[in-house]
Amino acid sequence: MRLAFGSRQFLALLFLGLAIIPWVANPYILYVANLALLYIILALGLNLLVGYAGQFALANAAMFGIGAYGTGLLEVRLGLPYLLAAPGGALLAMLIGTAITFPALRLSGIYLALSTLAFAMFSQWVLLHWYSVTYGGGGFRVPNLDLSPLPIGPDLGIYYLSWVVTLVLVVLAWSLVRSRIGRAFVAIRDGEIAAQSLGIDLLRYKALAFALSGFYAGVAGALYTPLLGYISPEGFDLFQMIIQKSMIVVGGMGSIVGSVIGATVMVALLELLREFKSTQEIVFGSILIAFVLFRPRGIVTLLRRLPGWEEPLSSFDRRRYVVSGPASPAAAAAATGLARAAAEPARGEGR
Amino acid sequence: MKMLSVRDLSVAFGGVLALSEVSFDVAEGEIVGIIGPNGAGKTTLLNTISGLSRASQGEIHFAGTRITGRRPTEIAALGLGRTFQMSQLFPGMTVLENVMTGLHLRTRASALAAAFRTRGMRAEEEEAAGKAWQALAYVGMERFAHRPGTELSFGQQRIVEIARTLVSEPKLVLLDEPAVGLSVTRVAELDGLLRRIRDERGVTFVMIEHVVRLVMDVCDRVVVLNYGMKIEDGRPEEVSANGQVIEAYLGSGFDAARRSS
Repeated sequence: MRLAFGSRQFLALLFLGLAIIPWVANPYILYVANLALLYIILALGLNLLVGYAGQFALANAAMFGIGAYGTGLLEVRLGLPYLLAAPGGALLAMLIGTAITFPALRLSGIYLALSTLAFAMFSQWVLLHWYSVTYGGGGFRVPNLDLSPLPIGPDLGIYYLSWVVTLVLVVLAWSLVRSRIGRAFVAIRDGEIAAQSLGIDLLRYKALAFALSGFYAGVAGALYTPLLGYISPEGFDLFQMIIQKSMIVVGGMGSIVGSVIGATVMVALLELLREFKSTQEIVFGSILIAFVLFRPRGIVTLLRRLPGWEEPLSSFDRRRYVVSGPASPAAAAAATGLARAAAEPARGEGR
Repeated sequence: MKMLSVRDLSVAFGGVLALSEVSFDVAEGEIVGIIGPNGAGKTTLLNTISGLSRASQGEIHFAGTRITGRRPTEIAALGLGRTFQMSQLFPGMTVLENVMTGLHLRTRASALAAAFRTRGMRAEEEEAAGKAWQALAYVGMERFAHRPGTELSFGQQRIVEIARTLVSEPKLVLLDEPAVGLSVTRVAELDGLLRRIRDERGVTFVMIEHVVRLVMDVCDRVVVLNYGMKIEDGRPEEVSANGQVIEAYLGSGFDAARRSS
């Protein structure tokens, strides 16, 4: 067998590396690596919605917050154990994400962006002012993660829990996009009208994309709660949205590997800039603009030139569908009359 | 059997009447051309049949089912295919994936089945790839299967678009100017392809076309629209001899204008 190094091998190696971090790194690095895992989840969810399905929504930071608050409040207010509260928080984010964005599903472009931004502002306001439930702007403390009887402390516990959950969510997203669902998303992104006339139900698949991104953001929020030990509204503001957005733009819109790379790179950058707090916004904003202008499809476009890095939207045995001989337009032109009809460049065709 | 029946169809956008009481029938296996000057309402007609525009009045029946006011997805599910004036291949997919997307309604896998790659989902995916490959081979485009759709020329994209509708085994396909941008000899080959699909697969076609050669050669019947109204409906040679049609295209002052210039 040929030794290949492509996107799958890259992801496997990255997760192996992340698995051994607790043994080689100090607690600070461990915390940053944990943060990177959560942002991988966030970027994946956002990329499914924005990069694949093409829905430019700005509510992901709010969904992240709802997941975190849902989990924390279920623990503190209702006394649920973390392992029950976390799925509850994630599902809450998914449900609210789907329900609240339902009116937005009929909008597109700037209208969708604005309405979801309004929702994000509204949820920020609720977190700040619904004091009797959310403890307001001051936030609240959540209990340490208790995984007993497993012999693992809270820091390592949340790290390995995040590692497993992230790996599973990467694999699920990877599989999902390589199917008729992924193709339906991309079809809606690339041409709503053509998608519709192929029988793709726009509302249904947009709702699915919103639900998925809400779920992913909710899961990240549920893992964020015990990692921080403390929750307040400020972590889920507009800057949070810009961070996530810049991750998928830098990594690569419409790419699973890109989401992973973008999240990792940007978390590292965020931490490097931590000492110069006021520069974070400026640097992130500049990077976002630079990538949008000069490399709108992100870092993965460089990697895609290497063999094994393409990310198909289908999963069948490619070896069964290969034409012998060079697949150049000229070769095809010689082969069949019809292909010849079509093979000439459009500019060569007279009207 | 009537494949398509349009009765007294009117479509208004705001106060503008794009189509006014248009009626015509299409029999199974027919190839019907829709012609008319720019702004005559041809694309609106196709959009209304495929459910993208809403009829203000009148009825459309497709294969015995009333489809007026139904959603595009439902109409597609009944077996109506469509291609567009501007190529609508999805640039983010390979050619084969584009054609596989044409099988959306013929495949079942849910999001969960896809995420967990169930055995059924994988079998369905292989089958879809096989069917898409066959459809591409049928139109002679399988060599481009694994290339991005954007790498193809204008004409090639149109052929792939036809394969994408063909793969779902539609009963009726609406083509919006399939020959635009093709040279005369290429048009003749498109002509052959459409006939072959009709003869071998029993597909009925309704096509908007400006290329007179294609209309005359391939269409069994031609419907002429002008200012949203049907002004003629008949065999191509009848239509081309009709004074009203010539007037619609060239204007009533055509002779005078030619003499004075």
